[in-house]
Amino acid sequence: MLTKSEILTTLEMVRNENLDVRTITLGLNLLACTSDDLNRFLDNIHTRITRMAGRLVAVCDRVGDDFGIPVVHKRIAVSPMAVAGAAFDRDQMVRVAQTLDRAAADVDVDFIGGFSALTEKGMARGDGALIDAIPQALTATRRVCASVNVASSRAGINMDAVLKMGRIIKKAAGLTADRDGLACAKLCVFANIPQDIPFMAGAYLGIGEPDAVINVGVSGPGVVKKAIDRALAAQGDLNLGHLSETIKRTAYKVTRVGELIGQEVAAALGIGFGVVGLSLAPTPNVGDSVGEIFQSLGLKSIGVPGTTAALAMLNDAVKKGGAFASSRVGGLSGAFIPVSEDLNIADSAARGFLNLEKLEAMTSVCSVGLDMVALPGDTSAETLAAIIADEMAIGVINRKTTATRLIPVPGKQAGDHAFFGGLLGEATIMPVNNGPGTNSFVGRGGLIPAPIQSLIN
Amino acid sequence: MEKVIVTVVGPDRPGIIARVAGLLYRRQGNLENVSQTILQSVFSGTFIVQLPEDISPEELARELRDAVAPLDLKAYVDRYQAPAADSDPGKSDPYVITTRGPDQKGLVARITAILAAYRVNVTDLKAVFKGGDDPDDNIMIYEVDVPHTTDRRVLTSALKAKAAQLDLTINIQHRRIFEAINRI
Repeated sequence: MLTKSEILTTLEMVRNENLDVRTITLGLNLLACTSDDLNRFLDNIHTRITRMAGRLVAVCDRVGDDFGIPVVHKRIAVSPMAVAGAAFDRDQMVRVAQTLDRAAADVDVDFIGGFSALTEKGMARGDGALIDAIPQALTATRRVCASVNVASSRAGINMDAVLKMGRIIKKAAGLTADRDGLACAKLCVFANIPQDIPFMAGAYLGIGEPDAVINVGVSGPGVVKKAIDRALAAQGDLNLGHLSETIKRTAYKVTRVGELIGQEVAAALGIGFGVVGLSLAPTPNVGDSVGEIFQSLGLKSIGVPGTTAALAMLNDAVKKGGAFASSRVGGLSGAFIPVSEDLNIADSAARGFLNLEKLEAMTSVCSVGLDMVALPGDTSAETLAAIIADEMAIGVINRKTTATRLIPVPGKQAGDHAFFGGLLGEATIMPVNNGPGTNSFVGRGGLIPAPIQSLIN
Repeated sequence: MEKVIVTVVGPDRPGIIARVAGLLYRRQGNLENVSQTILQSVFSGTFIVQLPEDISPEELARELRDAVAPLDLKAYVDRYQAPAADSDPGKSDPYVITTRGPDQKGLVARITAILAAYRVNVTDLKAVFKGGDDPDDNIMIYEVDVPHTTDRRVLTSALKAKAAQLDLTINIQHRRIFEAINRI
């Protein structure tokens, strides 16, 4: 028999605290679709995606309804297209992206990830073609997400790839200038990209993964915030050790939901269950914000001094609670701080509490990185590359994933407003130090070697 | 050896279970199951007891009534009847139905009428009606078994339609979500 408290607190988490399963992502290996005939390749990938994912949305909705917990997003992550489509040139890669987009639309998922390349140590022919295709591919499609890994702790940082990505981001923004550079919101540049991320825009299915797999991304920043508020209302003198414990227990509950629903969906589809990505993923809605948690912890706003310490505590507590709640943990697993996608973080940036440099410091203790950061449109490709390089260095040296999703908004300046719409939100454009200037450091190219793994200070 | 159901009802106070269990122990009865609850200030307890052969259910009833009368309690003893072979509802899944909404007469009657029509068995019911229009003051929690032969989507639609008529918010969720979230 359940207790009244067990039932009512669970209902409250759904009703008033935005508890949901943020995404169930079907990972699909497409390497068996390979052909040097483009049309055959396109047919193969469309057939495999629509056949394997045809029931995904209906099953997620049915299972979510059965447990009374919404599965907000249903998505697909495929093998890196730079590998599967290595035989094709730039223009053909655009057609690959369009086919992925059509397949995603046919099975009614909102995003499909895996228009991806892994270039941390060098750029193969397929990688170059795919990266060159990214601006046009992300402009011509709605649902396709792209990611490029340019660095790893074992390989170092491929500065040629970093510089190229600066130019690609600039070009992608230009092609979608009428939508504030929206194409860039679907493009992540990574260090140490995990192979099993359920969240977009970084999801792809790694080479070491099974033929098909269900990965789950949980969320729940609203639940964590309310748990902190309740704990403090009950006992005002709680210290940070106590609050960390509250966050940990709450993360356990949130993760259990994802684990249960993910396992059910996987069983119903006859596909193996992969991992739960333990994340606090916000949406641009009041009460579903990571930024609000910092205010509950006692900070005036995310971004003020104390933010990095608070984020370190939050991230660690989420991982501890989530790891205990889940059979297998993967993906990015940590608090997300996507500026435009979190109403509170966007507001903190607009009011000047949060800037690019502070965000960069914060990413040393959390996933993911400089995420959904709107920058002035005149930020040069070299400066974009330099920002990426800085972020990659944090990941490479600290043996963690870091990433950037930078949007140089065409025709707009620092302080102007950028609007991306829907889940991608809106944000005030942040100033960039030496934004339009030159940067011969990144222009030197080459590989920054992999770091020594001892002498770690 | 005979199995009986002992029911004790009356104003709650310390010592009720001690008195009932003490008598059963002295008469060599074997307690198999006990469930008790307190509603407002009223105690209600149900005991399933295996009786020795030297005492009949009628004798036990007389002794129990005498034992609990000083506490203003009523005691009843009935012979236990094993469920009929054809009463097995077959396989089912456990769900939790919760409602919130303004207090009014007939809420339990109208919700359970639908459950009965779809052969849904209520295994536990907690209802608190403090009155007034605050939905959080008037809550019903049903733990139920929904037979596999019942179309859950049709059941859900019927319950939601009735809840809408009664101005109630209703949730129907598989029990496992509550266990997953709250229990290790």
